[in-house]
Amino acid sequence: MIRQWLLLLTAGLYGYAFWASPGRTAHALQIGATTLGSVLLLIISVFGLVGLLQVWISRELIVKLLGREGGVKGLLIATFCGTVLIGPAYIIFPLLMSLHKHGARWAVVTIVLTSYAVKIQMIPIEVGFLGWPFSLARALITIALAIPTGLLVEAFMEKRGL
Amino acid sequence: MTRVGLVYLLLIGSAYLLLTLRDRQKTGQSLKMAGKSLLKMMPLLVAVFGLVGLFQEFLPAELVSRWLGESSGLVGLLIGAGAGAIAIGPPLAAYPLAGSLLDAGAWPPAIAAFIVSWISVGIITITFEAQIFGARFALLRNSISFVAAMLCGLLLGLLL
Repeated sequence: MIRQWLLLLTAGLYGYAFWASPGRTAHALQIGATTLGSVLLLIISVFGLVGLLQVWISRELIVKLLGREGGVKGLLIATFCGTVLIGPAYIIFPLLMSLHKHGARWAVVTIVLTSYAVKIQMIPIEVGFLGWPFSLARALITIALAIPTGLLVEAFMEKRGL
Repeated sequence: MTRVGLVYLLLIGSAYLLLTLRDRQKTGQSLKMAGKSLLKMMPLLVAVFGLVGLFQEFLPAELVSRWLGESSGLVGLLIGAGAGAIAIGPPLAAYPLAGSLLDAGAWPPAIAAFIVSWISVGIITITFEAQIFGARFALLRNSISFVAAMLCGLLLGLLL
């Protein structure tokens, strides 16, 4: 359901645009199709990688990695895990909460959700649309900000009576 | 981009071949998982690329540069991060949209803030997040991540 909102919105916009200006709408459709065609191979390959990562780096392995370490190493592992996990972030909320109940720090939970904004296996696609300098800078900065964000959220969480 | 796609396909294809030698069943499972995720993603991809076409044909460049251009400054940064916070969906959908906004003259920091907050801030999913982690965590995490998304944009501006 959540996944289809964009499709409905786009179809609605096309309907309206077609009514207003059929010629330009056909051109828009053509641009969209050409762009999709030019990245389709890349998308198919990336999903091949997604399949590999999901099976060979299982959720159980990630749970084991995240639950075991509490120190700086744990925070670094959390950053890494966030960058390779796939799917909308809300899918892993329950997993992260069960980790927290088993002793993972709030910082770890937050860091996974922050570094989630970098997807290592999607970088070729990001580069295709946004170029190397932009994609690389964005990935590095996002990763660098993940641990401070996590520690800040944790500090607020532990300050009771706020 | 087709050539990059071919190279990537070749790399992943070889990885599959090598892994088949190691564990046939697990690799088959990977392939199945890949196909299933791709199929599930298809409607969204069609929507996003349809939107990219509409953007390029109809979105006036003056509008983009007024609200998201370099001269828009903090307002552009806020709009970028705000739009990202409202939108939900996989990062894969954010890149083409971000790309067409950049082409139309948007300020890179505003676009970086858009992508980061698209993924790490979720206004629509915040009730679900609060149910699972508690309201305090959900509010704290989303607001701090919102600021971090804008900070990421600003730092990117300094770096590029």
